[in-house]
Amino acid sequence: MISVEKIRKSFAGKPVLRDLSFEVPDGKITALLGANGAGKTSCLRIICGLLQAKSGRVLVGGIDPAVDPQGARRQLGVVGDREGLYERLTVAEYLKIFAQMQGLGSGELQGALDAVREELELSALWERRMGGFSQGERMKVSLARALVHRPQHLILDEPTRGLDVLAVRLLRKTLLRLRAGGTTILFSSHVMPEVAELSDSVLVMSEGRVVGRGTPAELGRETGCESLEDSFVALAYGRLPARQEVEPA
Amino acid sequence: MSAKSTTSTLAQMLPLLKKEFLEAWRDRRALLTAVCFSLMFPVLLAGATVVMVKKQSEDATRVALIGAEEAPLLAEKLASPALEVDRLAQGDPRSLLQDDYDLVLVVAENFAHRYQEFRAPQIYVYVDSSDTGAGRAQRQVQERLAAMQQMVVNQRLAARGVAPQLLAPWQLEVRDVSTPSSRGALILATVPGLLILTLFVASLATSVDTSAGERERLSLETLLVQPLPAWQVIVAKMLAVASLGWLGSLLSITALVVLMPMMPLAELGIQQATTVAGVICMGLVLLPLALLVAVLQILLALRSQSFKDAQTQLSIFQIAPVMLLVIIDAAQIKLADSWQLLPLIGQQQWLKGLLIGSAVSPLWMLAGSLATLALVVVAVVFGARALRRETLLSAA
Repeated sequence: MISVEKIRKSFAGKPVLRDLSFEVPDGKITALLGANGAGKTSCLRIICGLLQAKSGRVLVGGIDPAVDPQGARRQLGVVGDREGLYERLTVAEYLKIFAQMQGLGSGELQGALDAVREELELSALWERRMGGFSQGERMKVSLARALVHRPQHLILDEPTRGLDVLAVRLLRKTLLRLRAGGTTILFSSHVMPEVAELSDSVLVMSEGRVVGRGTPAELGRETGCESLEDSFVALAYGRLPARQEVEPA
Repeated sequence: MSAKSTTSTLAQMLPLLKKEFLEAWRDRRALLTAVCFSLMFPVLLAGATVVMVKKQSEDATRVALIGAEEAPLLAEKLASPALEVDRLAQGDPRSLLQDDYDLVLVVAENFAHRYQEFRAPQIYVYVDSSDTGAGRAQRQVQERLAAMQQMVVNQRLAARGVAPQLLAPWQLEVRDVSTPSSRGALILATVPGLLILTLFVASLATSVDTSAGERERLSLETLLVQPLPAWQVIVAKMLAVASLGWLGSLLSITALVVLMPMMPLAELGIQQATTVAGVICMGLVLLPLALLVAVLQILLALRSQSFKDAQTQLSIFQIAPVMLLVIIDAAQIKLADSWQLLPLIGQQQWLKGLLIGSAVSPLWMLAGSLATLALVVVAVVFGARALRRETLLSAA
C-alpha cells in the first residue's frame, strides 16, 4: 500500500501540495487526475523519494522514502514522464544493468529478463541499441525496466503520452495483468477513457489537494455527471461542463 | 567498513559502473576528440623540434650585395659566419628576395665619389617584411653596418686629433648565451602542461554527456530512483569520465615516447632521459589528477542549466588551470617543495622532473597524490549532495 499523509510542498515560496492525503490500496489501480500544475508529478516524485516534502509523511509498503529512500525504491518500479533510456545501450544490456541495480542476483536474473522480454514483446528489439526507437518502443523498454525486478508498487507518470493504439493496448493489458498478480499501481493521466477503463479508484487533484475520490461511477454520482470527463471538470474547476451549462433547464 | 560490506558495496556498484563505461566508451564523438587531441600535441611537438633544428642548420643569413665594386671594403667587411654575402653586378631586389635571399643591399651608383667627399652616400636595404626571417636578417645587417660606420667615424676623428672615446661614453654589446640545449629544454617544458590539458580535453565531452546530458534527457531521474546511494552514482560517473582523460594522457605519453627517437633531440643537445620506469611513473602521477579533473567537471556540468551551457563553462574551466601552469613556468617562479602538495602544480613539477631525468622526491609525490585524492573525496561528497538538489529535476 502507498500512503500519503498531509504532505506539503512549495517551490520558490509557491505552494504546490497542500496537506495532500490519500491511500493507494494493494492490488488496485489508482489514477491520479489533475490539470497541468495540479501537483501530480511533484506528488509522484515525493513518493519515489526524488523530492522531499516540507511536512507530512509518505509510506511505500510501510517504508518512508524520506527516511530510507533505498528501501522504498526497492519496492517501487517507476516510469517517469520521459522514458530515461540510454541510446548507446542495447535493450538487453539496459534491462540487465537495471535489474542488477535493483539487487537481482545471477540465479534469478535470466528468468526475470526472459519474463519481461516475453510479456512486453521485446524479442525483436532485444539486441538493438535504443537510439532511434519509436515512442511506443521506448515506452515498452521503460516499462520493462520498471517491472524487471517484480516490484510490489508501480508508479507511472502519464504513461500513454505519445503512444499509438497498439502500444496503449499492450500497456493496458500489462497493467491489468499486474493488478491480477497483486501489484499496487498508481498512475497519472489526462486521457479520461483510459482512466475510466483501467482504474479501480480515481483521485482528482486541484491546486495541490485531493478534491474528489472514488470509482468513476461514484464520482459520476457525486457530481451528477454522466462521464468521467465531466465529473473531472466539475471537481477540478468547480463548475459544470460547458455543454451542460448551455443546455436549457 | 567490514570486508563483507565493502564487497557488497562493490557488487552493487558494478552494474552502475558497467552502464557508465559502456555509455562513455561507445560515444564515438567523445572518443574521437580524446584520441585526436591526445595524438595531436606530441605530433606538433615533434614537428616543432624538427623545424627548430632545421632553422638552426640554416642559420646563415643570405645577403645579395649589388654595386659592390663601388664599396669593396664594405663588401669585404660585411661577410661573417652569420652573413653569407653574394656580390652581384646587377639584379632586381624583389626577384632576388624571392630567390632565397633574406635581404638585398644596393650600394648607390656614385657611392665611392660621395664617400670620398664626406657626403654620406646611400645604401638601400630591401627586405620582405612578410617573410618570418626578414626581421632577424635586417637586424644582423644593420648591426654589422653600424659597427663599420662607427669604425669609420673613429678613424676620421682620430685623423683630426679627436679621441673617439669622447663620443662613446660606453660600449654596448649584446651576447646571446642561449645554447641549443636550453632552447630545446623550452620545448620539453611545455610537455607537462600539455599532458595535463589532455586530461581535461579528452574527458570534456563525456563529463558533459554523463551529467548535463543525462539531466537534459531525463535519464538522470531514472537513475536516481534506483536503490543506490548518490555517492555511488557520482563515483561511477567519475571513474568513467576519468578513464577517458587518463587513457588520453597515456596515449599522449606513449606517442611522445614513440616519437622521441625520431626527433632530432641530440642536435638540440638534449639526451632522451625518459625511461620505462619514468613513463609508468608519469602515468601513475596523472591518475589522481584524472579523477579530480573528472569529478570537478561533473560537478560544474551538473550546476549548468543545459548541455550547451555546460560545454561553455567547462571550456572556460579547462583554460584557467593550464594558464596558471604556463604563468608559473613562464615567470620561472621558484616554488618551495611544499607547493607539490597542490594538485596541478605538484603533477607539473613531477612530470617535468621525470621528462628531463632530474631527481623527483617519491615522498613528495606520494604526499601530493594523497592530497589530490583527499580533494577527490571532498568533491564526491559535494557531488552526492548536488544529486539531491531538487532543481536537478525537470520542472521542479
